[in-house]
Amino acid sequence: MLANTPIGWAILVVSFAATAVGTYVAYQAYRGYRRHQSRPMQYLSIGLVLLLGVSFVSAFFGSLLFRGGVAPSEYRRPFTLLVRSFQLLGVSFIAYSLYRRS
Amino acid sequence: MSEDWDPDEVLDLLSDEYARSILAETSVEPMSAKTLRDRCDASLPTVYRRIERLKEHELIEEQTKVDPDGGHHKVYSATLSSFSIELADGEYVGEIERTDRASMLDADDTADRLTYMWENL
Repeated sequence: MLANTPIGWAILVVSFAATAVGTYVAYQAYRGYRRHQSRPMQYLSIGLVLLLGVSFVSAFFGSLLFRGGVAPSEYRRPFTLLVRSFQLLGVSFIAYSLYRRS
Repeated sequence: MSEDWDPDEVLDLLSDEYARSILAETSVEPMSAKTLRDRCDASLPTVYRRIERLKEHELIEEQTKVDPDGGHHKVYSATLSSFSIELADGEYVGEIERTDRASMLDADDTADRLTYMWENL
């Protein structure tokens, strides 16, 4: 079961929506990079994919594994650290893209 | 953009009639290689060879245009604005001025607008 309370479902739906919209922005940034060989756009798109795509997808599947009892619960905190690291890496790419001139 | 270019090579390239007419045509609007073949009265391989050399010296820019039917094709636009040679103290100094890329961004394209916005933050 993915979620069993209304708020659980709401969290899931909102997270999916954030990922979908974020992926759309990342895709436009990637197109900007391809069309203009723009380095800032390359870093922006990588950052957005890490921040919104990779971190959400890993958090989603991670929580499934923990809830299903496949992964031992003592890994829960290290796993949270991993997801947060993806987010940090994502925003770092975005920050770098602001400094990086094409 | 890299500024380490050889004036000899650029002079050589610009002395070519086809290279010059490709630049002239694409300075008006972005054009595909096929359109350039007709406008410049050259064969397609000639057009592609000149485009390659012009691209090497960043005198022309390649863009991918998405067609309404979902396909896409490549178009080229000149980025050369001026080329000058100065003779001073026993040596030639060449200078290339290129057009601002912002003028090539398509206002109707989301990715172009995002690129312009993000690069000019």
